[in-house]
Amino acid sequence: MIPLEHFLTLSGILFSLGLFGVLARRNAVLILMSIELMLNAVNINLVAFSAYLVSTEFVGQVFALFVIVVAAAEVGLALSIIIAIYRSRATSNVDEVDLMKW
Amino acid sequence: MEIAWLIPALCVAAFVLLLLWGRSLPGKGAWVTISAVGAGFVLFWFVLGDLLAKGEATFSWPWFQVGGYQLQVGTIVDPLSVAMLGIVTFVALLVQVYSVGYMHGEPRYSWYFAAHSLFAAAMLSLVLADNFIFLYIAWELVGLCSYLLIGFWYDRPAAREAAKKAFVTTRIGDVGLLIGILVLFRETGTFSILDNLAAATGGHIETGTLTVAAILIFLGAMGKSAQFPFHVWLPDAMEGPTPVSALIHAATMVAAGVYLVGRTFPLFQAAPMALQFVFIIGLVTTLLAGTMALVMSDFKRVLAYSTISHLGLMMVALGSGGFAAGIFHLLTHGFSKALVFLGAGSVLHSTGKSEIWDLGGLWRRMPVTAATFVVAALSLAGLPPFSGFWSKDEILKVVQEGQSPIFFALVVVAALLSAMYMLRLLFVVFFGPLKAENAHVHESPGVMTVPLVALGVLSAVFGLVALDPVGQRLGLSGGFGQFLHASEPFHPDWLLMGGSTGLVLLALGVTWTLYIRRSPDPRVLTARLAPLYNLLRHKYFMDDLYQTIIDRVILAFSRLVALFDRTVVNDTGVDGAGHLPVFAGYHLRFHETGKLYNYGLAILVGAIAIVLALAF
Repeated sequence: MIPLEHFLTLSGILFSLGLFGVLARRNAVLILMSIELMLNAVNINLVAFSAYLVSTEFVGQVFALFVIVVAAAEVGLALSIIIAIYRSRATSNVDEVDLMKW
Repeated sequence: MEIAWLIPALCVAAFVLLLLWGRSLPGKGAWVTISAVGAGFVLFWFVLGDLLAKGEATFSWPWFQVGGYQLQVGTIVDPLSVAMLGIVTFVALLVQVYSVGYMHGEPRYSWYFAAHSLFAAAMLSLVLADNFIFLYIAWELVGLCSYLLIGFWYDRPAAREAAKKAFVTTRIGDVGLLIGILVLFRETGTFSILDNLAAATGGHIETGTLTVAAILIFLGAMGKSAQFPFHVWLPDAMEGPTPVSALIHAATMVAAGVYLVGRTFPLFQAAPMALQFVFIIGLVTTLLAGTMALVMSDFKRVLAYSTISHLGLMMVALGSGGFAAGIFHLLTHGFSKALVFLGAGSVLHSTGKSEIWDLGGLWRRMPVTAATFVVAALSLAGLPPFSGFWSKDEILKVVQEGQSPIFFALVVVAALLSAMYMLRLLFVVFFGPLKAENAHVHESPGVMTVPLVALGVLSAVFGLVALDPVGQRLGLSGGFGQFLHASEPFHPDWLLMGGSTGLVLLALGVTWTLYIRRSPDPRVLTARLAPLYNLLRHKYFMDDLYQTIIDRVILAFSRLVALFDRTVVNDTGVDGAGHLPVFAGYHLRFHETGKLYNYGLAILVGAIAIVLALAF
């Protein structure tokens, strides 16, 4: 058996990579992809804990399904917003979308 | 006797009527006021008769409840209050009738009489009051009326200042009175005057507390009765109309302090230190004012200082244990002083001049005024058989019996002074040569001279009630002294009476030489004694002292407080509270960059902070 810590480390690294992407990327779609990466990292974490600690019940796996569904809905919504911004501002660079400022 | 409360109540009704419908009432309200006081005077005789027939009584009605205490309002009917009722209603009546002539043509005529009604109501309530709270309320109202009437001609800055000065100075004393009342309440649990006096004489209150309470109450009397150092308001109060000076600042309001000491006399008797304090203050006051009255040249100012001096004499009498003497002098002085003030008003009304050196020889043109003034002046100087002689003599007797010889000598000096300044005034104004510019003046109208005559008669004969036979004829057994609960009926002390008469004759001689024969000319004397003259003319620099204290201490402190109010409370507190969000917002808004990654970073930092906070 692969020790639990490996899964958790993987999940942590993936989460950090996703976080870096959210904060550092300029392209809106790439930020979205990083968010997805974070969500998937969380999924790995949930399933690992569930499989290793309470193997008879599938609480983590069921919760991971929920997360996938939420991620999917959220991506659809986010992409619509990006397209709307692109249509009005002709850019997908989040640095340039800063009207709501002082 | 149970209707004694009607006497002030009628004046209250008159006040309300005048306030609301003054101008449409008959005589612009003057006759309503006069009727109210007149009715009060008539009722006084009934109350007096009742008192003589049935003895003392108190009547009390519940007023309202505060906490666990039931406040009452009521009247005491005893010789002291009835005597005060008599003089207040009588002098008020005469002064109001006189005012019809004096204030003729005055635009705010109705308000003048309204204020007179309120004053009469307050003063009458004061002398009837059976509990300290009621007394204090009436006390303050009397002070208010004094303010209103002194400042009647408020377009004159001097009058405004004088009214303020009177009110503030007496207010300082009133604080003492209030604290004294509260000290007594704390000891006895009641505001009823008679209960408190019974507790004091019964030894239920320890002497130290009694002394403190008595002195505090006396502070109130010092304020109202213009005792040193609170005497400064009375000379300035002469800015008011002369009838006001006659009523309030000669016969009644200033007598309220003397009345208060008289009413609480058992309290003072149980605290001998307080009584001696009363004496000392009275003595200082009478000498101070007597010396100043000798040099003043404004007619009413001389009379004002004379009033202060006589009030001092009353306190001297009371402070020596002479309750009857002090109150008797209150009455005789009241009649005589009101008369001289009204006489001064008569002169002022006719000649328009108030400097005594501008006047002279007026007896030729104003015989009634002059004659009554002579009677009153001789009464105040203490010449027998006029009333002032009897009361002054009583005072000298109690001082001789109760105080050390040095104090007695000083009181004798004060008596001499009182004769001298009154005679000086009499001779300078009414005798001597008539100046050319005054040749046209004529006697005042009847409405003004009749009160003069009435008071003149009283000044002449009232003193005789002190004598046993007269008193008995009037139904007062033992003479007036015993009527007022003196310890013994009147015994003539021929030596003392001869001595005081001799004093008056001496004063007569000196003033006649100086002011009628004019040799030596008084101005020569003034030049020789210039430093003393200067000191007296400047009122011992007391007004300057007070003004300096006010400017340097009180106003400086107020400026400090105002500065605090402006900078700390207003600029920092109120305005600052408004500016702070604006300022904060103006500088914090730079956090809203609009950039997504900034917001993302903020979320991350916040999440980490929460986790750390929860972990530790």
